Amino acid sequence: MNSHQSSETSAEGPAPLAQGRQRCDGISRRDFVYLGMLSAFGLSLSDAIRLQAQSNSGRTAKAKACILIWLDGGPSHLDTFDPKPEAPSEIRSQFQSIPTRIPGVHICEHLPRTAAVMHEVALIRSLTHELGNHDTGTRFLLTGHRPTPSLEYPSMGSIVAHEYGFTTPMPPYIAIPSDSAGGDSNAARSGYLPGGFSAFNVGPDFSRLGGLTLPEGVSIARGERRRDILRKMDQFSRQVEEGPATGDRDAYYEQAYRLMGSSKAKDAFDLAAETRENRDRYGPSRVGSGCLMARRLIEAGARFVTVVDTGWDTHQQIFKELPDSRFPGSGKLPSLDRAYSALIADLRDRGLLDSTLVVLMGEFGRTPKINAIGGRDHWPRAGCVCLAGGGVSGGRVIGATNSFGEVPSERPVSPPDLMFTILQLLGIDPSRELRTPTGRPMKLLQEGSFIQELV
Amino acid sequence: MKCSSKLLWSCLVVTLISGTPRLRSQSASGSSESFRTSILPLLTKAGCNSGACHGAATGQAGFKLSLLGYDPVEDYERITRELGARRVDFEHPETSLLLMKASGSLDHEGGSRLKRQSPEFQRLKNWLTRGAPFGPANLEVSSIQVGPSNLFLPALTNHAQLNVTAQLSDGSKQDVTSLALYTANDDAVAEVSKGGQVRAVGPGLTSIMVRYGGQVDAARVAIPFQPTKASNRSDFPARNVIDEHVQAELERLGVPPSPLSGDAEFLRRVTLDLTGRLPTASRVREFLAETNHPTKRELLIDQLIGTEDFVNYWTMHLADLLLLNGTGDNTAAYFNWLRGHVATNTPFDQVVRELITAQGNLTQVGPANFWLLAADPRDLSEHVGRIFLGSQIACARCHTHPADRWTQEDYHRFAAYFARIGREAGGIHLTQRGVVEHPKTGKPLSPKPLGSLGTTPDNASQEQDPRIHLAAWMTSADNPLFARTIVNRLWKWMLGRGLVEPVDDLRPTNPPTHPVLLEVLVADFKRHGFNLRHTVRTIAFSGTYQRTSHTTSGNAADTQLYSHAHLKPLVVPVFADAVAQVTGVDNVYQSYPPGTRAVQLMSPATPSTELDVLGRCLRKRSCETVRTAGGGVTLALHLINGANLQSKLQTGVALELRELSPPRIVEELYLRALGRPPEPHELSEWASLLQPANDRTELIQDLLWALLNSREFAWNH
Repeated sequence: MNSHQSSETSAEGPAPLAQGRQRCDGISRRDFVYLGMLSAFGLSLSDAIRLQAQSNSGRTAKAKACILIWLDGGPSHLDTFDPKPEAPSEIRSQFQSIPTRIPGVHICEHLPRTAAVMHEVALIRSLTHELGNHDTGTRFLLTGHRPTPSLEYPSMGSIVAHEYGFTTPMPPYIAIPSDSAGGDSNAARSGYLPGGFSAFNVGPDFSRLGGLTLPEGVSIARGERRRDILRKMDQFSRQVEEGPATGDRDAYYEQAYRLMGSSKAKDAFDLAAETRENRDRYGPSRVGSGCLMARRLIEAGARFVTVVDTGWDTHQQIFKELPDSRFPGSGKLPSLDRAYSALIADLRDRGLLDSTLVVLMGEFGRTPKINAIGGRDHWPRAGCVCLAGGGVSGGRVIGATNSFGEVPSERPVSPPDLMFTILQLLGIDPSRELRTPTGRPMKLLQEGSFIQELV
Repeated sequence: MKCSSKLLWSCLVVTLISGTPRLRSQSASGSSESFRTSILPLLTKAGCNSGACHGAATGQAGFKLSLLGYDPVEDYERITRELGARRVDFEHPETSLLLMKASGSLDHEGGSRLKRQSPEFQRLKNWLTRGAPFGPANLEVSSIQVGPSNLFLPALTNHAQLNVTAQLSDGSKQDVTSLALYTANDDAVAEVSKGGQVRAVGPGLTSIMVRYGGQVDAARVAIPFQPTKASNRSDFPARNVIDEHVQAELERLGVPPSPLSGDAEFLRRVTLDLTGRLPTASRVREFLAETNHPTKRELLIDQLIGTEDFVNYWTMHLADLLLLNGTGDNTAAYFNWLRGHVATNTPFDQVVRELITAQGNLTQVGPANFWLLAADPRDLSEHVGRIFLGSQIACARCHTHPADRWTQEDYHRFAAYFARIGREAGGIHLTQRGVVEHPKTGKPLSPKPLGSLGTTPDNASQEQDPRIHLAAWMTSADNPLFARTIVNRLWKWMLGRGLVEPVDDLRPTNPPTHPVLLEVLVADFKRHGFNLRHTVRTIAFSGTYQRTSHTTSGNAADTQLYSHAHLKPLVVPVFADAVAQVTGVDNVYQSYPPGTRAVQLMSPATPSTELDVLGRCLRKRSCETVRTAGGGVTLALHLINGANLQSKLQTGVALELRELSPPRIVEELYLRALGRPPEPHELSEWASLLQPANDRTELIQDLLWALLNSREFAWNH
């Protein structure tokens, strides 16, 4: 099929970094050649599996995988990684700040374990954009594109799945518990790429991941027989013609069978295989179990694992909700502190940190001024991101906000810059061009440049 | 909890900026040129006020313009006055910051937008020389018209030039071809240059959106698939008016239509589409056996429309549309009200009038529950706009809609209809308080129908519920959006694709694929008293609906012209019900009587792991365009290995069938699951598989498992 080539070959070579920046009117449309009717079908997932089995050699990037801890709802920068103890009381956090392993750098008192691993972490304090809604902000952060009504862009995880391919039985892109970040928007999904590049969702109950084994009473031989019958039945039937949608469905089945066939992959989903000490180290919280699961999945061959931690949309009572686990639906900071610091240390202990990029962020920061009900509202103009491992040099701070934490005072970092950097660290050229289902050429990113200070 | 007030933040930024600009209304040279109609469009064309540049909510590099120039007065103030008028220099116009930046003579992140030699640069310079007059304060663009409005480009290399004329409020006309903005809606079909030259790219239908001076228009573009031949008729005569329009478009674009579907394909499709379930094996046998019956399809359609299943299934369609998502007695009241109207086929305008004006106790007045969708009148206005008027008005919350005609005032006046809805004591009541203010002036706004599409309520009395006026306007016969919106959705529910897509975005700049057909259907719908069943029946009767989904050579690439039937995946509740029907084992839903099917559930909050994994519509936001959370590999694993399916296989029909002969078993299973008898090669393959008698029951289960996991089962084809 023509469409394979059209989707798989980059129309141009890698662009030098200096050219990564784009005019502010965004898209510079290029002429493109109509590729005949097949381009309407795009690239089906099953084709991609076949093609990419061969194309995955030769990556030289240090990072081979990425764990994204997504603080859904937007974490307050002032109450986590960018405290402003000198600011007036209507702005500054009620939390104290404590020193970290980076000399002179302080973070919130409720992150003591994190403070002790900051020598592994590069902290960006100047993330800034202008999209103050959960859905639009999440889309911007996770796709590197401002959302438009006409086209859905693929998320980082889906791009990584697309670029690394399905080379192991482990699905390349996995979400814990699911990819519904930013409310129920499609931000973390596959956008214009086929649906097969969406995340494999672990589901709400980590301990009982259903469906990885044949049902009770069905032997392996019988499972094989069923599969043979199904294969033949689909071949016999000419009632439903194959197209992009049916192709996706077929690919889901193919991937499901690969997963079922690998005991290594299946075992990775079983947290019971971890020692009690290690489970304690990550903590009993959902984010703790999620981070531990993420490490297991990366070890077993997953490429991009998103751990979604909800509850950061603290419009009220922020100083109660964040630290206090007795307060309903809360205790965000202690849980995160334990999970995040354990993940960094565990990856280091296992020799995996250099090849695993760990990203901690949410869709935006929160208003410097504390509101009437003791909370903070959405504030996209300033926020923090922590990066560790995967070729990032830890123990440094990049960028800063002004004295009230309102806007970056130095080195502003945009969502496209961040995504550009993450992709490049993972060995993916952000200027690579794909095609949308209608045949339109589309670069992975239209703007953004590498954050040199990280390496 | 998520903050539900979407867009509020970006609106706040807009509201921070106000003030009374001083207009220089006389121009030095006496020219009638106005800032609004002559100068601002230059900047818009150059991209200065695009959303990514100075048109962003926060501006760019300290300079903010209104998005695409929707607020000329404010833009004028910012250009000529802000920061001590440092952007303009009347003595030395060429050194004005405005020109230096725009031409790239000074460092400008946006680069060079206006070449120094260009006529646009000269015009700006002349304007500055004359002291940058605002010109006649009230002169504005009242409408624009693009010509030709229909382009037909028969060869892929063809070009055509669009021309755009602006009608100004003083009655004069201007050729604004060089200043209008052009956007191709699907640039895989046609591209458009900055100057308005359209180039054919690939076969299909699309449109070019044209914008100028806050007004919009669109030109439709058709690129034929094959050179048009005189005889491209399909092998069946037009069954009704739908076919005439669809055939004409197929002929115009050189797409050969596929023939009518066979009886089995038709029976399965129409039973799924009208009742949300599969035909039973005996129904398939009967229908296929009636060979000499010329009107059997029409009889079948009428019979299906008269069933309880039809009522259940179409209630679900409407409940999905209305986002009926609560729990408890009040939700039951709401659901029963809706179902009652579907059962009696109440005229749709009446249903919506009841809903829009509903007030009273939530458990007694079912439709009052609609008003629980949101508390903020602006959020409600967006729901009402999307659900009943097919319009995405949210953009106009903060600025003039860039692709539609709604202004910020239009938006907030529309929202004002919902300002006085009170939610106290378990009911919906009219309150005396509650206003929607203009975000810039802060003045309370009186309710007004969207845009210029209707008149203001005469008696703005405190006694009357403004929603009564709204309901009358929405459902009046000359409302341009209401009937089109529901007819377009009915078409989509039957044919898998709306005549306008997305179905909640009926902009003038997003024209239908078949404009005349849509108008004909809408007129027919109104003439028959907003009768949903009548229109569904008309669609089902058409040859267009009854075409096979098999492509023929030359029409596989068509996705818009209905040359062959679209494949529709079985929606989640229908899929779950179909598995239950085929296996003969019902699903059980908590607090519903046995035998309740998934399409009958009133609330998407009804616990069901099955439906969650399959990815049901939660009715929190529209499921019309956004994919739901379920599906993918998780779904495949569930269907391959799920305990629910396995137990259905073990206890259901497999046990009943095992005494039959293998060929009879295969036939029965195919009829049940796929609605057709097996082909000879299928029959012989599976009959021989079932031969070993000692393993018969398990083999039947395995064959049935494969049928339920098969590609054919998962699609309505």
